[in-house]
Amino acid sequence: MIGLDVGSTTAKAAYPEGKFRIVESRNWRELTDGIAPCDIVSTGYFRKSVPHKLAITEITAAAFGAREYFPDAEVIVDIGGQDTKVIDLRNNTFLLNDKCSAGTGAFLEFTAKYLGIQVSELGDLHMRAKKAAQLNSTCGVFAISEMISRMVEGASVEDVVAGMHYSFARRVAKLIPEADRIVLIGGTVKNRGLTAALEEVAGKRFLIPPAPQTVNALGALRYSEERP
Amino acid sequence: MILTSMSTVGITALVPPELIFACGHMPLDVNNHVPSSAEHPVSKLCAWTATWREMLLQKRLQVDSLVVVAGGDCHNALADGQRVALGGIPAHFFFYPFDGDTDYMEAQMQRLVLHLGGEVDKAKFREVGLAKELGMRLEQMRIEGRISGADAFRILISFSDLCGDIPAFMEQLVPEKRHEEAKFRVGLIGVPPIYKDFHEVAESFGMHIAYDELPYEFLRLGGNSMAELAKSYAGYTFARSLGYRLDFLERELARRRVDGVIHYTQFACHHLLEDDVLRRRLDYPVLTVQGDMPGSTPEQVKLRLEAFSEMLGRAP
Repeated sequence: MIGLDVGSTTAKAAYPEGKFRIVESRNWRELTDGIAPCDIVSTGYFRKSVPHKLAITEITAAAFGAREYFPDAEVIVDIGGQDTKVIDLRNNTFLLNDKCSAGTGAFLEFTAKYLGIQVSELGDLHMRAKKAAQLNSTCGVFAISEMISRMVEGASVEDVVAGMHYSFARRVAKLIPEADRIVLIGGTVKNRGLTAALEEVAGKRFLIPPAPQTVNALGALRYSEERP
Repeated sequence: MILTSMSTVGITALVPPELIFACGHMPLDVNNHVPSSAEHPVSKLCAWTATWREMLLQKRLQVDSLVVVAGGDCHNALADGQRVALGGIPAHFFFYPFDGDTDYMEAQMQRLVLHLGGEVDKAKFREVGLAKELGMRLEQMRIEGRISGADAFRILISFSDLCGDIPAFMEQLVPEKRHEEAKFRVGLIGVPPIYKDFHEVAESFGMHIAYDELPYEFLRLGGNSMAELAKSYAGYTFARSLGYRLDFLERELARRRVDGVIHYTQFACHHLLEDDVLRRRLDYPVLTVQGDMPGSTPEQVKLRLEAFSEMLGRAP
């Protein structure tokens, strides 16, 4: 049995021997070579579009996956490509933000593309910023306009990137309930500039698993083991 | 303007249909035409009101007069109703009392009767009452899980205007689908979803909708005299204080033994601001979903419904 998470940007697989693989979503078949559909538990936006024995939502997968690393986690914040999910494990509730790209990975990609850099560079640029540019807009499109204004005024790319991360963090922090043990997952969490901004805005340290983007694939696998 | 001959009277939210029938006219709930509409209003906040506004202005929905429920319920209707009026359709504005004052309610009802022509055939009160008694029996079957939530909703939502024809409507009060056993019972609160298949989608994820908050108001309010109607409709929970509504909700949700609550909110609707209060007060798992344009239930809402069903399955 494998856990297969086919999201809007990347596809991730968790294998029983403890290995993970990540490919672009359109290449998800590479992850299931030689594996029968009856041995796949899928999750992610395309969970029902890929062969599977069982399909579960990312919310349930996240709950099962995060528990592997942090058994006493209280809240999970999953910052995905198209949405941000906040799951409160204490009372079994969740919130999703997907009406607007401003608090999602899509916003980071949008920004990187405008600046002519890779998304993977955003974290390092943030760390080199001297003074984060002030961006007030909560709308992703308006935030780009503000970034242009700040650069016209003389702000560096580093300062603008840091300002964008703080803007992003303020939006996500509003969704997070008061808790001590908050786990951050999703590919976006690899951006250390963003996590630093989020910790500063929220005023607390977050728990980050070693491979945050594969937690949901692992959760799908664990779900199948617990509920065969 | 005072209506004289038999007319089609559009209503934008709950207006006592007893009065419209009693004055010799046919009520038509303009909202019932929204979920299947293909309108794309240029200027909009709430798609419910903007859609019926455009349908009326473009004559894709024909009414002789429009009764706009402007006080205590839908605030966007006040603006969109006036735009319809400015477009040449006679409009009457109807206000509910926030404090439940029955004298105020009766005065509003008398004003409405004057707009509708002033002649009241009280036999119609009883006719509508009989239809509602039959509806209550069907609602009890839904509570007992003998008919599906989708079927019950289809019937209940039509009690706002009884499809403009009481005898014909009563003949339609027959459940269509056999109810299949659901894993969970949920209450659906807030304004009705703008999606035409919301109940069916919820059922596909194993959730039986055992309560539709607003449509149940259409059914439970009524009376056989002006005084009885005023007393009953003054208790219309959506127009009253949040505390009053929450007390009512708690009783209904307990009576219907729900496992969870879905709070449907509409983009740009002031009721969205009540979400935090409802979530804090109601002692159930609560899923909040927000809709915008009419049509089929979109994938992001389906994801939430599926995840909510999974979550109810994990509940201790």
